Amino acid sequence: MKFYKDHYDVIVIGGALAGLSAALMLADKGKDVLVLERHNLPGGIATSFVRGGIEIEAALHEMMSIGSKDHRLKVGKFFDDMGVDIDWLRVPEAYHASLPGLEVTLHPGLETFAREVDAAVPGTYDKVLAVLNLCHTVFDSVNELSIHPASKPQMLLKHEAFVKTAGYSTQEVLDTFGLPQKALDLLAPYWIYVGTGFRELPFTIYSVLMADYIGYGSYIPHKFSHEMSLKMAERAEAMGVQIEYRQHVDKILVRDGRACGVRTARGDEIYADYVISSAYPNSVYTHMIEPADAVPARAIKMVNGRRLSLTAFSVILILDKSAGELGIKDYSVFRGDTMDTDACYAELKGLGPYRYITCICHNLANPDATPPGTCSYSITTLPRVDGWKTVSADDYDRVKHEVARQMIDYMSEYLGVNLLDHVLECVIETPMTVAHYTGMWNGCIYGYAHTMEDHIVARLQTADAEHFIDHLEFSGAHQISGDGMGPAVTNGRKAAKNVLDTMEREAK
Amino acid sequence: MKVKGFLKDVGGASRVAKARLAAFENASPMPVTDDPIGDVARTWHPGKLDLVVTEVRPASRTATTVRFERRDGKKLPPFYAGQFMVVDFPIGESLISRPYSISSAPYQARLDEHAFVEITVRRSKGDGFICDYINDSVKAGDAFRGMIGCGQFFYEPLRDARHVVALAGGVGITPFASMAREIAHGTLDFDLTILYGSVSSGDITLRDELERLHSDKLHIVHVLSGDEPDWQGERGFLTAELIKKYSAEDTTYFICGPQVMYKFLRGELGKLDIPRRRVRFEVFGQAKNITAFEGYPQEVKDKTFELTVVRGIHEDVIPAKATESLVVALERAGIRIETGCRSGECGFCRTKVLSGSVYICPESDGRRAADKDFGYVHACAAYPTSDVKIKIPIE
Repeated sequence: MKFYKDHYDVIVIGGALAGLSAALMLADKGKDVLVLERHNLPGGIATSFVRGGIEIEAALHEMMSIGSKDHRLKVGKFFDDMGVDIDWLRVPEAYHASLPGLEVTLHPGLETFAREVDAAVPGTYDKVLAVLNLCHTVFDSVNELSIHPASKPQMLLKHEAFVKTAGYSTQEVLDTFGLPQKALDLLAPYWIYVGTGFRELPFTIYSVLMADYIGYGSYIPHKFSHEMSLKMAERAEAMGVQIEYRQHVDKILVRDGRACGVRTARGDEIYADYVISSAYPNSVYTHMIEPADAVPARAIKMVNGRRLSLTAFSVILILDKSAGELGIKDYSVFRGDTMDTDACYAELKGLGPYRYITCICHNLANPDATPPGTCSYSITTLPRVDGWKTVSADDYDRVKHEVARQMIDYMSEYLGVNLLDHVLECVIETPMTVAHYTGMWNGCIYGYAHTMEDHIVARLQTADAEHFIDHLEFSGAHQISGDGMGPAVTNGRKAAKNVLDTMEREAK
Repeated sequence: MKVKGFLKDVGGASRVAKARLAAFENASPMPVTDDPIGDVARTWHPGKLDLVVTEVRPASRTATTVRFERRDGKKLPPFYAGQFMVVDFPIGESLISRPYSISSAPYQARLDEHAFVEITVRRSKGDGFICDYINDSVKAGDAFRGMIGCGQFFYEPLRDARHVVALAGGVGITPFASMAREIAHGTLDFDLTILYGSVSSGDITLRDELERLHSDKLHIVHVLSGDEPDWQGERGFLTAELIKKYSAEDTTYFICGPQVMYKFLRGELGKLDIPRRRVRFEVFGQAKNITAFEGYPQEVKDKTFELTVVRGIHEDVIPAKATESLVVALERAGIRIETGCRSGECGFCRTKVLSGSVYICPESDGRRAADKDFGYVHACAAYPTSDVKIKIPIE
């Protein structure tokens, strides 16, 4: 029985957002694409599941880079261009920050945000707006330069703010504004979505994060992130992409220094001109390349020279009262004992108690999220993989329940309601859950840590030198744009672009 | 890095690139393959395992317990008491899967030597040929493949009350047997009272094994519905009155038994003032007679349709009876499909309907909203009502 064609233009390993974005873009250019996904549905962690008759979002908090219908940002525009028609719901606020002595709800829009910070910390409007405007200027440059690279003189002429802040951390740049600590604290909560504390986090990354989320707000699909993943997969299939689920790729086949196909766990050998891997470079270079000696030592040094970033730990509760009845007022709450991001980051190395928490109540952006009289409430922290690496299989259940209970208690205290009295369903997602469903290296969803040594500006400059096997590209959080569901799409498109560029170059 | 004067600094971009390359240059050239988080995930969820039967013993006049160990002698995966396992049975040309609640305890799957799991299967009354096959034919030394630790029917301390009343009917005792053993072992902590309904005392499954586990935390109350003059214990059905008698102020109810019992107990529990979150039913099981459900198109019930099955670029055409699920049609034709709960809930058999129409069992529609929009079904709970074309994963 023959399940595959003799040959494809491109095989994409992984049918999550990055892999599907790559497949869409390649199919749009008429390429013959096969996507192999290990799970039985698309999306990776951008998915949902049903418990007790209630559909539950698995991972998505807020989708960035979508924009309104009239002003699409790059990811929203990509979906529109590809004919992926998603029913986007706007998230009402940026976030509610709950910090010692501060309870502030902030809304998107640079000026709105600055005004609301000013209301909480008077006299800061001009400076906060100046920070946000600087972020926006850098954001514009990053977006433009990712499409149209510029010469050095042009860079200075047109992208001065970007050029001049590129070598500095978020902390270093924010310090120059002379803002009071409380205002700085209100500018900090989103840091967790890029995963490193301000002393390490490149200002460039912070700028993109703030300009995108605060400038334009965020969105969620009406029928959970599964709507997004499924519509991408359906559209790709309609464009001729072959997607096969439950196919785990064991090996990437390399001949004469060039990727030429894959072997699946079931033993199928499938051939293609190009392979795009959503599996981490760590997995690929340490045990997926066949023959193993096709991996140069430089590739191993590259993965060893990088630090894995964050993973996720979520307690998802379906509660037997509505959000209003439980006093849940905000879609998104960040709660911390401190907004010293470096201290928070240090704490994420352990196994709790985690005191920097983000909570999402989907019902407040999507009233249909759960049946009437109930609501969903997810309590998430984004720990580093280090602590979880020490947990054994036999201790796993105890540890996950202990951490989950601490987080539920922490948010019960915040809400003044014992959440444990209202639990209809309780699902605990851990780094192991991520590893189980997606196969991601050490359950890491964030790729490599954004640090001054692993800076997007550096990643862009050294990308060519980090290309170790011809016709093998990577897509996913481990790539240039880093973590998050929006960046996943961008990373997938970049992989497809690399393939298309190589095709064009070699055709000449 | 100096902070002052950054607004004049234009060398940042090349500086970070140098730092990056230096970090790589100084890194070890030795491959690091450690993935301990992935290892834990694979220990809990290794997929289908090669198992061997090491013991078969009677569990009552009408039921048999089958013990499985791993063929490679290793420990079995951890699981939660109350979960089921899926066993593949090679029958002729077909490979048929069935979910069975695990009747042994989780700790027994993690023993250092001869770690095992057990299922307890009751001889059926004509409609479950696999149940009869297990009771009549399975013997020590037989080899099967099985997936351990599926389903959501287990005690969750962050959700459930300290006091649990289990309502069991017939062979529905099995998940509670697992919980009882784990409680007796001291590795699961809640108070469990099992109200166990049987027709006659001879039908009581695992009776002696469970009697031995009685403690402060564990009570088993047998309730006989049949006419048995010498019986000293509770009689009748699991009525609201009886349930109330054994309930604490805050009680979670777990229910596992035949489909008729579910219907009856929904009524009985409805008479008591119980919050929704305190009632947990095990999955419904495959519908016994799909034509009896609301909205079933009676005009097709005697028909057999053509089912076109797409796997990759390969297509097969097989017959599919209107009264049998797509999964059954596939298994009859010897086409492998992964199944789990066979109750429409778990989604293991998620399948795309490319054309044609199906009837979805209303008791068993655990689909995602977006899946419904795009014609995905859970094949174990979908019945053809026309010629149908489906796409399933290659197994």
